[in-house]
Amino acid sequence: MSALRRRLVPYGLLLPGTVWLLLFFAVPMYFMGEMALRSGSLDTGGFTFSWEWGNFDEALSGSEEQLLRSFVYAGLASLFALLIAYPLAYAIALRAGRWKLLLLFAVVAPFFTTYLIRTIAWKTILADASPAVDVLKFLQIVPEDGRVLATGGAVVAGLTYNFLPFMILPIYASLERMDVRLIESAKDLYASSAQAFWRVTLPISAPGIVAGVLLTFIPAVGDYVNALLLGGTGQTMVGNVIQSLYLQQRDYPEAAALSFVMMLAILAVVLVYLRLAGTGAFMGDEEESR
Amino acid sequence: MRHRNPSTHSRGRAALMALLVLIFAVALAACGDDDNVGGGNESATQVAESGPVRGEITISNWPAYMDTGKDNTVNEFQNEKDVKVDYVEDVNDNAEFFGKLRPQLEQGESGGRSIFVVTDWMAKQMYDLGFLQELDHADLPTVFENLRPDLQSPSFDPERKFSVPWQTGLTGMMVNEQLAPDVRSVNDLFDPKYKGKVTMLSEMRDTVPLVMKADGVDVDEATKQDWLDAIDKLREAAESGQIRRFTGNDYNQDMTNENVVAAIGWSGDTSIIENEDVRWRMPTEGCIIWSDNMVIPKGAPNTAAALEWMNFVYEPEVQADIAEYVQYVTPVAGVDEVLRERDPALADNQLIFPDEEFTKDCSTQPDPPGSAEDRQEVTEAFQDVVTGRS
Repeated sequence: MSALRRRLVPYGLLLPGTVWLLLFFAVPMYFMGEMALRSGSLDTGGFTFSWEWGNFDEALSGSEEQLLRSFVYAGLASLFALLIAYPLAYAIALRAGRWKLLLLFAVVAPFFTTYLIRTIAWKTILADASPAVDVLKFLQIVPEDGRVLATGGAVVAGLTYNFLPFMILPIYASLERMDVRLIESAKDLYASSAQAFWRVTLPISAPGIVAGVLLTFIPAVGDYVNALLLGGTGQTMVGNVIQSLYLQQRDYPEAAALSFVMMLAILAVVLVYLRLAGTGAFMGDEEESR
Repeated sequence: MRHRNPSTHSRGRAALMALLVLIFAVALAACGDDDNVGGGNESATQVAESGPVRGEITISNWPAYMDTGKDNTVNEFQNEKDVKVDYVEDVNDNAEFFGKLRPQLEQGESGGRSIFVVTDWMAKQMYDLGFLQELDHADLPTVFENLRPDLQSPSFDPERKFSVPWQTGLTGMMVNEQLAPDVRSVNDLFDPKYKGKVTMLSEMRDTVPLVMKADGVDVDEATKQDWLDAIDKLREAAESGQIRRFTGNDYNQDMTNENVVAAIGWSGDTSIIENEDVRWRMPTEGCIIWSDNMVIPKGAPNTAAALEWMNFVYEPEVQADIAEYVQYVTPVAGVDEVLRERDPALADNQLIFPDEEFTKDCSTQPDPPGSAEDRQEVTEAFQDVVTGRS
């Protein structure tokens, strides 16, 4: 009896996750895939299933630019988020002392306001005649007759800002549990501060970085709010095209096909990334990193 | 997990597979009797039934399209007619609202709503698909006594068989008179002087006809090619950076912050834009006149009370409250006299009570001509410009 129970426990533990995955991932995927192969139009009798592979062709042709742009913007946003998040997480985890909780709270605090409102607030901050843009012009980052809103810069900035906490928190978590004596030992063994960082701290925080990049990159690729509010006609991302296909053109099959292409592209990029970054780092393979 | 028990492992996997197969079977069965997603409701015409006015109704309208404060029109109606009204502001976008409701409409249901408010072209599409009930004018005496004469027979519903205007409005230009004093025609929006300082509406039926008018096209007679030509002109301007963005209501913020000095915009919005220099301007070649209409969907509960609501808001005294609040163009004749006593400035406002001279060059909001496929082609071309697709 107890042996049987012991054997069943892992499956019992897996059950909620499995059911969740099936109901909210596998089944919707099935419906989406089936919709992507339908043909027809809503105004003339609706969509019928007909193995219409042409939808994929049509969805892709014309959207290549948006697909590519989505990956470039999301990649840049992840990179900038990493550059901002790492020093911040490092400072909070190792240098903040009694301010640690307060600083962590400050990282999460923007979440108390909705995403949409925060992005709309950026429109005011980056308005053409705003002090922020005047400063950027003074520093020659933005040309004298230039602007920030409705440019790629504004969209990338919005994405970076909106997903920053997802980068900070995992890196913080991996640095927080690091044993600082390891750095001391490195220094005892005549490592310079820089060497200690590159050979001890960074490898230990690698799982946090990998997780943070995934949590930032994946939602950023599919995001359409930042491009809609902060971008112009030349900054649209694949999410904007899907939204237009679905709600304005009411071409559900093409929208479904494009969503599929986007998911596959994300999957491919993430697999390559994990391959390069090493799943060991993601799983926190301690023997390898220590 | 190096020393797994192989038998448990395969049994577990078998169980998982079984579950998977089961769920897929359920999914297949669920859509088996629904091989066709979409399509209309082709059953016979249905006329909204009148009768004793009582019970409850649900009304769907756009946000800020009526004062929902304490002494509002709904409360007045409830007190006077012994009907309980659930007034919901859940229409934000014609296409989006229709997309959301469509599965229910196809089943002959209205999601509990007795009335909803949609723009001309949307009402027409819903009617053509057989989703709306027809209205017997005998049940709507107050409406047809007070409906403005120029709204009695619009091209999309010449006999007002299925639609009753809620409010109407003008699409023209929103101009910052300090920064863009010389913008008088829609063609001036294409002046390189204002490159990147101009926005247009993502509502195709507002933007494209205005561009056609500026090029001298009679929008009522416009061909599909005229629409596509205007869209090409927009594409060029978007690609060159002349047009900064295509927007919904959010152009208001860009006008307030002076990111944009001139835009295609709606007449009622001047009250929302917090910038003294911004005025709505009638383009020299005229404007687009649209209306949002009350319609009764098939499957609507309590149509008697819904018809009574239509009559109620067409009483000039009642309509005056609505007009005073929303500041669009009221469809009810005689409201100006009521308002003159309350606030003479409102009664003289051309954007609320435009006279014939003011709107003489304006056109009723048109739909792209031709079949459903032609319309789809035009919509697609326009959406490609909005989303920057090539």
